[in-house]
Amino acid sequence: MQRLIDRGSLTGALGAYLTGVVVTSAPWLLTTAVLLGLRLFARSSGTNEFLVVEQTVTIVYALTVVLSAPMDVVLSRHASDRLYDRRLEAIAAPLGRGLALTVVGFAAVGSAVMTLLRVPIAFAVPGTLLTVVVGAQWLMLSVGSGLSSPSVVLGAFGLGAPVTIIAALALGRGLGLGAVGYLYGFGIGQLCTLVLLLVGVMRVLPANSDERERLWPAFVEYRLLAAASFAYHLSIWADKPILWLLAGWPLAALYTASAALAWFSVIPAFAWIYVQIETVFYQSYRAFYSTLEGGGTLPLLRRRAQIVRAEALRILRGAALVQAGVTLVALMAGPLVLRVAGLPPAAAPMYRLALIGAAMQLGTLLTLLLLYYFDLRRNALTVAIVLLVGEVTLTVVCWRAGLPPGLGYVIASTVSCLLGINLVRRRMRTLLLDTFQSQPFGAM
Amino acid sequence: MPAVSEARVGVPDDVCLLVEGTYPYVAGGVSAWVHDIIKGHPELRFSVFNIGSRAGVYGPPSYALPDNVTRLHQTYCSELETTPITSAARERLDGEIRAFRRRGRSRLPPSRVLGAIRRLSLEIGRGDDRLLEDLACGDLSVGEFLHGRETFELLAEIAEKVAPQASFLDLFWHLRAIYVPILRLLPAVAPPARCYHTVSTGYAGLCGAVFSLRTGRPLIVTEHGIYSRERDMDLARASWIKDQPDAGDAIRVGARPSPLRDLWSHSFRALSQLAYRRASRIVTLSDVNRARQIADGALASKISIVPNGVEVPSADDERGASGLPVPPGLHGSQGPDDTRALRVGFVGRVVPIKDVISFIQACNLAMADVALDVRIIGPIAEDAAYVRRCVALVESLGLASSVVFTGPQPAQLIYSDLDVVVLTSFSEGQPLVILEAYAAGLPVVATDVGACREMVEGRSAPDRLLGASGLVTRVGTASETAAALVRLARDPLLRRRFGRAGRKRVLGFYRRQDMIESYRGLYRDMVSQ
Repeated sequence: MQRLIDRGSLTGALGAYLTGVVVTSAPWLLTTAVLLGLRLFARSSGTNEFLVVEQTVTIVYALTVVLSAPMDVVLSRHASDRLYDRRLEAIAAPLGRGLALTVVGFAAVGSAVMTLLRVPIAFAVPGTLLTVVVGAQWLMLSVGSGLSSPSVVLGAFGLGAPVTIIAALALGRGLGLGAVGYLYGFGIGQLCTLVLLLVGVMRVLPANSDERERLWPAFVEYRLLAAASFAYHLSIWADKPILWLLAGWPLAALYTASAALAWFSVIPAFAWIYVQIETVFYQSYRAFYSTLEGGGTLPLLRRRAQIVRAEALRILRGAALVQAGVTLVALMAGPLVLRVAGLPPAAAPMYRLALIGAAMQLGTLLTLLLLYYFDLRRNALTVAIVLLVGEVTLTVVCWRAGLPPGLGYVIASTVSCLLGINLVRRRMRTLLLDTFQSQPFGAM
Repeated sequence: MPAVSEARVGVPDDVCLLVEGTYPYVAGGVSAWVHDIIKGHPELRFSVFNIGSRAGVYGPPSYALPDNVTRLHQTYCSELETTPITSAARERLDGEIRAFRRRGRSRLPPSRVLGAIRRLSLEIGRGDDRLLEDLACGDLSVGEFLHGRETFELLAEIAEKVAPQASFLDLFWHLRAIYVPILRLLPAVAPPARCYHTVSTGYAGLCGAVFSLRTGRPLIVTEHGIYSRERDMDLARASWIKDQPDAGDAIRVGARPSPLRDLWSHSFRALSQLAYRRASRIVTLSDVNRARQIADGALASKISIVPNGVEVPSADDERGASGLPVPPGLHGSQGPDDTRALRVGFVGRVVPIKDVISFIQACNLAMADVALDVRIIGPIAEDAAYVRRCVALVESLGLASSVVFTGPQPAQLIYSDLDVVVLTSFSEGQPLVILEAYAAGLPVVATDVGACREMVEGRSAPDRLLGASGLVTRVGTASETAAALVRLARDPLLRRRFGRAGRKRVLGFYRRQDMIESYRGLYRDMVSQ
């Protein structure tokens, strides 16, 4: 990614930011595109079967994004740590085991959920298969984006996306299989992306895999990260079923659709954050530790720490600026957006709140990423739990108090964002102190 | 907290002897001296406070504790390894660090121990009584030192003032390594005793000074070698301190000495000064050492010289009380067989400070001119790598048939089978091996370290009148030792003359009983205070 930016050309920068978009948003962008396609397809076909497909795909993505999160973060962190240790041979075995567990786990979870929700068997089978494929895809995306070149990720989604749409249309319309065919076609395209990601990652890994490397110790090692990631991803969806339970499906569906639309507004800032963290911030971070390990003097270390501090604050400010701009535009374009998306004007207040909430949640995510960078796992977990618990609690409280749906989400994500910023700032102030004074020294 | 391997609660002992990693585990040297002192004072009750580096380093004791030793306290001060830290341990540590920081924030007034460490590091040579009092108050735990904000601020201040160009990472770990052992020792509970007697300065000296301050009982400091000087020599050879490359040199032609060596050196000197200041009496073995102690801050009025001593067999007794043989040349005119190869002995631990390498090189050089039959007699378990190096040198020089590593042997078997004893040490106090050689009527070749020159050439005027009892060579100069060996091999009469002078010297000035009596008087004064 740094090489792309270093070219100094527009295409280089575009490639870098496009990679950022793909890594941060590709799966759910695709989902949304597919769901929108479904709506258009449903309008023209005039059948209710597509409502089942829409629900199935939504459930699949909600399930996979939440349940795969711990495995994704554990294995991607394990991979990056082994990469740092120059022990690439220790990556494949746990990754293979994690992938197998993901496949088996999501097959079980997918079929159980389809059964519980009484999804017709014709949809339940491709729905379960899609759960497995998408779950595995999240995992390979998380590990692959750190291990392999951005072109692998870009290529996988660049090829997978058109295949998805073509296969869905071919099976749904071409072969006349209707909504079921559409779902199978969607699954085939996603499988294509998964295979490409898998091949790309395996190419990076050495042939001599250390089979003694286990998966469980990695889970024990990174359990706080796993918990933080689970809590964060759960918070993306937690308010929707709660509102469904409290207010019924029509309002919840409207709220979910508004939130999904609003979430589009974070794509530019998310991609910007990703690129900045993986390039400029990473360099300042590495420079600090290289200086430290390379025998730098105290004044030099202080300067390097100051640069890391400045970079972290710059990214916080930059992300806020980019997101504020996009949110403002999205707020102003609200009526148009709702009309294009086929949502009624009644969705406007929820959409506006969801925009602000999404911006704050992105801020929370950024602080989480920075806290992960500095290995402040407990702090990251605290922020994620504040977000999740706050969101669940305040969604209920706001509904009971007669306040608009989505306000609880806004408050919770604002609080978690501010907490995260505070923790990052505190860490930045004590970077040098903590780096040294947290070192163990034998038995005490 | 210090581990106490054996503790019988009872009345205070008369003397608590503080040793650093020696008695009763290491054979010879200071250990032998301590054992002798204890046995020489059967009327006194002793306890021994041994400060080791870390558990598991020491094997079984080399000495059975005499009946008048009531307790052996074993304390460890250096757990220097950074343990591979698991995530559970990391979380536990993070929790502890948060607690330390909270405690640090609420601490008012600031830690006196940390203030003392600051003065030790930055105000070297300006020690006062408050320094020891501050250290002894023990208001800083090891954890607070390792993880506290205030400590980091101090480390940064030291870095800026003492070693602004040094790698801060190196400085950080070195400062931890310097002060953590001290902080581990400060909370040690003083064994009840009427007086404390430390057989070195350094960590033992620090503990002795702190115990003395806390209990109000007097402290005696005995130094055989000068601790700070010996550590300086260790530091000069230490490969774990990286010297700095010359900044800006395109081609590295040399490296500047690391300020970290100075930091360590200052810390050891500061520990010596703490012990000297607190001591009621300071005992050393020679004028040379006395001068060095004064240079390091000891008050001249506190210092007395008590030479080591050995049992000397009488000329009428084939084997004296010490078990040392009476040399044949002393019984009559008949000397050793002058026609066979000169039997040369190196007696001592095979460790770097004894510079056995130079001894082997000297023998090799001498064997070009004269026939030698060489024995290296002493423990070989202490530094296996160094022993391997010595054996490899012997083999590479083709001396395996004439240079033999015998391992430790009883004193009565050593000297009867030798014609000359050689010392090539980098540092010595007042080596017993020279006195034992004299008692056996043997000449010595010794490097000019510690009290060796005055032991060979005489200390006082009456002593010097006896004439030389061997040859003195420069440190680390194998050629001089070789020349001395050639001279002695070619001149049997000179050997006999040296042997007789040595025996007279040990009889006149280095008798064990004299040393024991000197300490008896000293202990009597201190215990009754």
